[in-house]
Amino acid sequence: MRNIRFLICLALPGLLAAMCAVAVAAGNRTVIYDGAATEVTPAGFPAAEGDLWVTLKDLTRATKFALKPQGVCRDELCFPIPKARKAAFLKAQGKTTWFNLSEFARLIRQPAAHDAESAVWFFGPRADEQNGYVESLVAPDFTLPDAGGKPHSLSEFRGKKVLLVTWASW
Amino acid sequence: MKDAGKWIEAAKPEYTVLIDTQHLVTRLYNMVNVPTAVWINEQGRIVRPNEVAYVDDRYKGMHKLDAAEYLEAIRDWAANGDQSVYALSEQQMKERLAPQNPDWARAAAEFGLAEYFYRQGRQAASIRHYKEAQRLNPDNWNYKRQAWALSDAEREYGTSFMKEVQKLNGKPYYAPRRLPESKKKP
Repeated sequence: MRNIRFLICLALPGLLAAMCAVAVAAGNRTVIYDGAATEVTPAGFPAAEGDLWVTLKDLTRATKFALKPQGVCRDELCFPIPKARKAAFLKAQGKTTWFNLSEFARLIRQPAAHDAESAVWFFGPRADEQNGYVESLVAPDFTLPDAGGKPHSLSEFRGKKVLLVTWASW
Repeated sequence: MKDAGKWIEAAKPEYTVLIDTQHLVTRLYNMVNVPTAVWINEQGRIVRPNEVAYVDDRYKGMHKLDAAEYLEAIRDWAANGDQSVYALSEQQMKERLAPQNPDWARAAAEFGLAEYFYRQGRQAASIRHYKEAQRLNPDNWNYKRQAWALSDAEREYGTSFMKEVQKLNGKPYYAPRRLPESKKKP
């Protein structure tokens, strides 16, 4: 819906256009994390350019990370929040605690891309995940479907040599 | 499948062919163009990193690479495994692999966002982010070719794949093949 509303905005001059822009700004935000898109509630306060603040509930919905006493955690993985910079990550507003997902991405060296006009944030893999194979030399595993839709994982080919060739139909 | 299916069917492959609509493999392995190949041994360790992988000479006019040498190398590896002169040691591998630099990482995120918009049918937004991915990692031909193929490249990007390849004038332009270090070995 937001998309359509925005197209109408572009076609209208003056005051109406400004009203439309407000409607867009108040709309939901989209977070793409581990390839999955989740709509999250927008923060009710101004944020630094491009930064995304989410509720703790949305943090877990969108990223599967949760705020715990020891840090921001997912399963066994925990990233402590630097005490001296706690305010850069957490903000209380009434009964709601907001978490700065963009600041967290910078902390854990996770690349992010943001489209202000559409209010969409994309978070890529952490540098340590992306670059792990450069040290270990273990071929990164993946699972993809064949032409019939049946999934195959690289790890199923252990014990055989694999010539991995990429090709495209451009 | 709509785009690649007819080639897969025509090839009647005995090997496994997978469909990667979200460019996962190129992101995981930091590949920048096709065709690119990686050799993986029985233990799952990479023994040759990304390199140009033409297996016939149909595009030789563009890249000046003879496919025969590469095919010979693959056959040697298939027969001799890690003992093949073409399979690299861990030390040689580490000299050839580099971690993704922060700009490439950001470029990959921009490309991911562009792909999201494209799948949503939001063309203008996708072009904004394809351009940003191309700016941050200008050596990545996947970002260029994908973007150009999904739009009117001349109108949106002021260029085309053939134009860019012609500019290279036959220079090897990605993941150069380094065969055969082997010939110097006994």
